[in-house]
Amino acid sequence: MSQNKASRGGAAAKGKKSNKPGAEDKREDVLQAVIIADSFQTRFLPFSLEKPRCLLPLANTPLIEYTLEFLAMNGVQEVFIYCGAHHDQIERYVHDSRWSPNARSCPFSSLEFIRVADARSIGDFLRDLDKRNIIGGDFVLVHGDLVSNISLDAALAAHRARREANRDSCMTLVLREAGEGEHNTKTKGITPAFIIDPNAKRCLHYEEIHPLQNDHYVTLDPSILENREAEARTDLIDAEIDICTPDVLALWSESFDYELPRANFLHGVLKDWELNGKMIHTEIVNEGYSARVRNLQMYDAISRDVLSGWTYPFTPECNLLPGQSYQSQGDNVYQEDDVEIESGTDVFDSVIGKDTHIGSGSVVQNSIIGRNCKIGSNVRITNSYIWSDTTVHDGAVVEHAIIAEKAVLGKKAVVHEGALVSFGVQLGEETDVKSAAMLSLLSPSGQLVSPQPEFVGSGGKGALFEDLEDDETDFDDPSRLQRSLIYSLEDLDLSDSSVSTLADDDDLSDDESGPVSPSTSQPTSRSRLSSFASDDSGAPTFSSFHSDAVHGLLDVLRGTSGNFESEKLEFMSLRLANNASDSAMRKAVATAFVRRAIELMTSENDALEPSKAAKQVLTSRAGATNFISEVGVGDNSVPEQIEFALAVQKACVSSSRFVEVAKTGNLLAAMLQQMYDLDILEEEGILGWWEDDRGKEEGLMSEVREKCQPLVEWLENADEESDEEEEDDDDDDDE
Amino acid sequence: MAPPKGGYAPDLDKFLDTLKSRPVDASVEFLISLLKRRQIRGSESCAIATAHILLQVVAKDKWSDVDQLIGRVQLVGRKLVTAQPHELVIGNIVKRVLGLIRDEASEDRNDTGSDSPTDRTPTLPPAIEPIPLSKQTRLPSLVALGSFARTQSMFNLLSDPDFVPSPGSTPKLGSGASTPQGYPQSTNIHALRSEVIDGIEEIMDEIRQVDEQVQAYAEIVIHPGDYVLVHQPSRTVQKFLLRAASKRKFTVFLVVDPSAASTEDDPYSSLRKSLSSSGSTVVNIMNVGLMAYMSKVNKVILGARAITKKGGVIVDSGAAVIARAAREQGRTVIVLGGVYKLSPDSRFHHEGLVEWGDPSKYVNFADGEMVGQVRVRNAIAEFIPTDLVNTYITNL
Repeated sequence: MSQNKASRGGAAAKGKKSNKPGAEDKREDVLQAVIIADSFQTRFLPFSLEKPRCLLPLANTPLIEYTLEFLAMNGVQEVFIYCGAHHDQIERYVHDSRWSPNARSCPFSSLEFIRVADARSIGDFLRDLDKRNIIGGDFVLVHGDLVSNISLDAALAAHRARREANRDSCMTLVLREAGEGEHNTKTKGITPAFIIDPNAKRCLHYEEIHPLQNDHYVTLDPSILENREAEARTDLIDAEIDICTPDVLALWSESFDYELPRANFLHGVLKDWELNGKMIHTEIVNEGYSARVRNLQMYDAISRDVLSGWTYPFTPECNLLPGQSYQSQGDNVYQEDDVEIESGTDVFDSVIGKDTHIGSGSVVQNSIIGRNCKIGSNVRITNSYIWSDTTVHDGAVVEHAIIAEKAVLGKKAVVHEGALVSFGVQLGEETDVKSAAMLSLLSPSGQLVSPQPEFVGSGGKGALFEDLEDDETDFDDPSRLQRSLIYSLEDLDLSDSSVSTLADDDDLSDDESGPVSPSTSQPTSRSRLSSFASDDSGAPTFSSFHSDAVHGLLDVLRGTSGNFESEKLEFMSLRLANNASDSAMRKAVATAFVRRAIELMTSENDALEPSKAAKQVLTSRAGATNFISEVGVGDNSVPEQIEFALAVQKACVSSSRFVEVAKTGNLLAAMLQQMYDLDILEEEGILGWWEDDRGKEEGLMSEVREKCQPLVEWLENADEESDEEEEDDDDDDDE
Repeated sequence: MAPPKGGYAPDLDKFLDTLKSRPVDASVEFLISLLKRRQIRGSESCAIATAHILLQVVAKDKWSDVDQLIGRVQLVGRKLVTAQPHELVIGNIVKRVLGLIRDEASEDRNDTGSDSPTDRTPTLPPAIEPIPLSKQTRLPSLVALGSFARTQSMFNLLSDPDFVPSPGSTPKLGSGASTPQGYPQSTNIHALRSEVIDGIEEIMDEIRQVDEQVQAYAEIVIHPGDYVLVHQPSRTVQKFLLRAASKRKFTVFLVVDPSAASTEDDPYSSLRKSLSSSGSTVVNIMNVGLMAYMSKVNKVILGARAITKKGGVIVDSGAAVIARAAREQGRTVIVLGGVYKLSPDSRFHHEGLVEWGDPSKYVNFADGEMVGQVRVRNAIAEFIPTDLVNTYITNL
């Protein structure tokens, strides 16, 4: 951050800012605003590779226009724009637009760009701003992707009154009520939870909740609840419009590791309230519109809101950009001049830019089409966003997708839901773009890629875009939910079923992180998926329980630490802490033992035979047997035993990635045999498991199971021979 | 130290305050963005803002002959009209000012007495057919009230939409370009400038005086014991009622849109108070119960946002249904509006005249299901066709 350089942005008059203390008072009546025009996120890939998010068109108007309009509407005088990626594009755009400080039309007395050479987060921007000492008084902090028509006058007045009453109230968050129910314009995936004192409007606590997290609780400091009323609000749209005093910047500087204004800064400052004494208030409005285009899902939602007039006066009809000439044409269609629509074409609920031509027999519904697009005949475009200069040839179909500028769709090409076709991609005739596919001319590193005909058809240009970082992201990082396409929301939405699906994915990743080198075996995971999807809704919680428990057990089994007495205590407390279900426990125990056995079988110095490995696992450590029968199996009833045997089977199956299937089969048989010998499982249990349908599923499950055939036969024979023995077993177990 | 009065958000007052200190171009752009953002709304505000900006154009811009001035005003006017095409008064004021400039210029020339006066007045139409019947009949008395010098040119204006570029549509420079040859190029520009400025100031005065002039008719229109229905009365209508109430006793049905009534403090409380203090009765009606009262009503009085060439009236949303109900019951519909609201607009479909606002008047944005699933449209204004209106009252 040492070599920050202000860009040429500022008007000359504003270049010399006085740092004298006296200057501050004079500047109080000038409202300043800071726009963060880089989000340091990758949610708009592949588009953001070539164009920054704030220049992407929303309803044919670049996003930053809405933000600047919002500021102008609220009488902001001085604007500072922090740019990161693609700063040259943003600067050029603004300088060529009516916002340029040199233009007569600029409503701001100054507009400056600030570049920070090595900024890696929004936090770096704001710490830089603190050093510059250009903020005189209250300022409005917004992001470059804000769409809002809220009048800030009331909030500003309230903020000022609070600040004059108490110097420590340093920030006001402007939040929009959005009701308890589902709302398109609420951010999907991450729900901000505000704990607010409704009388003082003070924000007491902030937390972000998302479906991938381990628990669904917000942990509150008990002091929050002392002597005050508190409301927990998750019904708010947080467009991150903040009215700040310069103290806020000082707070940023104090905490050099804060990156995000909400998850880090707000959460942190509120948590350390007793230390820093700073208070943050909220202004909850129930009129007007405010939302941030945080991700493609929000892009979709906000485009709809613009089309239905919620953002009035920022609607197509109001022609924000000079040169726009949208007029309402009935049927909620907004057209610019020189739009040519041939007869027999159905257009409704749409926005169509200048010079666009639509051929006959086409259907355009609920879509936004940019300028100068050539759309052939018999084309069907629904719920889609077609940016300018695009060519769509006859017979093509676009369903709920984004087609970026200058893209070409060949004849009868089909773009399915959720697909993103980036700048300049050309699709050959009859290409079929799969749902949620991303096509781009560039690779994630920004290199031109050679065409991949299997995705863009013959004669096409472009290739499948795969984000490398995607794999690196943690599974419980909520941005996963937002990174993926808007449109596949259905898969990712917060409904119960999909939540558990995601959690199961999570499980798999745990297994993969296991000790042995991975090999591929997709069918296995599929079978496990289906079997675990039936787990109770506690599924999300059980993922971390699972990995913690398995690791703890493995340590004990390896003999590196502790013993089973203490492990049992630890295990049970872990279980209570995570509210894990019986099946989760069973699974964890089975996984741990099987994993250890596999370790023994595959270790390089003394690879053991499956039977020996099984024996060693179960007997080498004192108390292991007891642990299994008490914790793993439970109360010794036959159904419980069947369940545990199943869990062992599944654990074996999932470990078949590391060793051959035959060996895991043998291991399973050996484990069961050992457990029978050790009286962990009874005959009925094993035979019951053998009969159980769940163990007979296709693929590896039954493959592994087959190896136990001899054991079962032997058991059946033994059954006939020794009834008495079995009763002895029962007695033993009861002890 | 203190923030500017009334917050930071710009509005009409702030715009007028900054007019003097800014270059004209910047003011024009500022006004355009205010119009686009709907921070100046309502016909009266728009008219005043337009008159002020044109005054600045005339007073501050450099122009050496009439052509230049006319071109300049046309350009600014066109920009303003496209910024807010739904407010017809903007176009009206621009046309008035253009007409004024032409008149003054031709008067100058008449004074010098050089050229033939034949085609000076631009193409007077043979018949004044577009003006609605009721107004035509009243014409003589109207003339008496208004300033005589202006009326002449104004009725020409109203009757010929092509005289100046009509808003939104292709501007016809033809008539504008054909007239000027005869104008003096060298005559006293200063005199012309000050005359035009005086003229524009007169227009502003006229806009300000509309209410007083219109209310002169109140006693003629409202009789003792009448049942009068008004819909969200504008200031013009309120003054009209108060004037009548000072002489007579009658009953007013005050129709208020439920959404407007519930939001903030009642904007009509002072009206209610003064009406009832002078002995008239005020009955509040929420929109729902409207029809039931119509049989009782004698007269419906509506304030116009604009009156089109053919006599159609643009009113606040909610009033069109009242006009229709009144027609069904055979009640009189009276429309009040200053002359500056009479628009030579000749669009074919009137849907374009109606602006769609933000649906939150009817549906709370917090209602996620409604917002997501239902498309709600909120018309800001409505169009009343000519045949539903009985009488127009203006200030002339």
